[in-house]
Amino acid sequence: MVSHETRLKRKAFRSANESDALVGLFFIFPFIALWFIWFFVPFLQSFIRSFQSANFIALDQAQFIGLDNYIKILQDKEFYQALLHSVTIVAISVPVITVLALLVAIAVNQNIVAKGVFRTIYVIPYITSPIAATTVFMVLFRKDQMLARFMTIFGFENTTWYSNVNLALLFVIILFIWWQLGFFIIIYLAGLQDIPAELYEATRVDGANAWHRFFNITVPSLKHVTFFVVTVTTIYSFQVYDQVAAISRYGVLGQPAGRTSTLITYFMQHGIRYMEIGYGSAAVVIFTLIILAITYIQKLLLAKEG
Amino acid sequence: MKTGKKNYIVSIILGVFAIAFILPLLYALYTSFLKLSDIDKLVGIKNWTLESYLKFWKDPNYNIPRWFFNTVLMTGITIAGNVVINSMAGYALAKLNFPGKNLVFFIIVATMTIPYQIILIPVYVTMAKLGWLNTVASVTVPYLYQCIFVFMMKQFFSGIPNELLEAARIDGLTKVGVFFRIMLPLSKPGIISMIILNFTSTWNAYLVPSTMLNNKDSYILIVGLNSVKDQFFDRTNVIMAGVVLITLPVVILFLIFQKQYIEGVATSGLKG
Repeated sequence: MVSHETRLKRKAFRSANESDALVGLFFIFPFIALWFIWFFVPFLQSFIRSFQSANFIALDQAQFIGLDNYIKILQDKEFYQALLHSVTIVAISVPVITVLALLVAIAVNQNIVAKGVFRTIYVIPYITSPIAATTVFMVLFRKDQMLARFMTIFGFENTTWYSNVNLALLFVIILFIWWQLGFFIIIYLAGLQDIPAELYEATRVDGANAWHRFFNITVPSLKHVTFFVVTVTTIYSFQVYDQVAAISRYGVLGQPAGRTSTLITYFMQHGIRYMEIGYGSAAVVIFTLIILAITYIQKLLLAKEG
Repeated sequence: MKTGKKNYIVSIILGVFAIAFILPLLYALYTSFLKLSDIDKLVGIKNWTLESYLKFWKDPNYNIPRWFFNTVLMTGITIAGNVVINSMAGYALAKLNFPGKNLVFFIIVATMTIPYQIILIPVYVTMAKLGWLNTVASVTVPYLYQCIFVFMMKQFFSGIPNELLEAARIDGLTKVGVFFRIMLPLSKPGIISMIILNFTSTWNAYLVPSTMLNNKDSYILIVGLNSVKDQFFDRTNVIMAGVVLITLPVVILFLIFQKQYIEGVATSGLKG
């Protein structure tokens, strides 16, 4: 006679076998282990440190100081300057990228010569290193150089853009748009493929012109893609860093004179360069909350749309 | 239906725009072949020289061979880790049942929502404690997996019909065997997409490497270029040779695997 215990064991074995529990856990384990050690734990640490007075040199003497770091940040003029710059980058990049990416994608999607070549060329900036690209643009945007001179057509002065306090941020924005555009062209091209050709055929019979087709079919059909593009561009624009780091020669991030500081350079400067672990962590937490708030608003809007 | 005339107008506009778009890269390529005295002049191919590249490669101030090696090592380790770990996790999520599966889905979505910069300072502190700063471990170990790719692999594996797996099981393959013999070979396009996306982002990474690598011997190419560019900014041809050296491997790989790259961006972008 089989004992109760053995029967239970057998049953457990069989169900484990059937439900793949062991195999499944084996396959998921490396991912979860790495995630736990290198994401979850540091994630919690950032929150804990943000309530501490902690310096890298004397981390064992870290003390809880409540909301002091947050209060100090919210009283820091430089923080608001960084926030303003981040918001400026977003306010310019988002509409420009969204409109340009859509227009280029539609143009590339036409029955044109060398379609593949164009698509390739437009994606290339996105696969280059922003540091390398910024280096090239820095050379070209020096006083009397090609692009600095070209921009005088639009009324800008002939000057070295990245060291000019009035133009440095715009320089960063131009570079970011140039670099990021290809990614969203790909996204829009994928969206355009999904629009059924019959929609266009129908209106062509009705005699609608290209203008009508664009506004009555293309734009509405791409509503969800555009929604995605706008929210993702917003988040990416808040995360701009490489271009700023590249123009900040040796010294403080956000040069010249703090005119290109962003939320990212603010926490990098305090948390890593000045090694104020507690203060820097609080700055990262504020940054994260801003990003999460945007994501949340986006979800609400999407839910409202149905 | 579409008239030829319209095609050409759009083509020409796009062409002009496209040239303007990659002009900076063409400038970098062109200038890297010039002598210092020829910079900003149009000179024929007879006056081109490889001097800048040789200088860049040999000058002990740069230590390019070392940086190049570091970059290849960092990228190689990261890609190897991502291929193994993400596809294992993707298989578990797509085809196996295990306790806590829903929690894992939640973890993936939540992690993709949270900006990764939040972990940077604590990871830096941990690396310092472990003595891993200025080593390749500090720029690879935390990045051996990526949630977006786990999700991508899950999507790929889900597309493989269960009947195929059952048939393989009946033929005597274990579930582990199914992974190696059926799942991996059948999802080659997905894995290539993942590799090429992972390659470009790792090769071009700056924020993390510039934080973790602070001595010259541990630099990767991009951190190195950024550190020497101010010093040697007036030797534009040499700096441009550096830019080309960093950019060319990515561009070549992109041109070869363009299709997979674009599909990867489109799927991970729109579904992620």
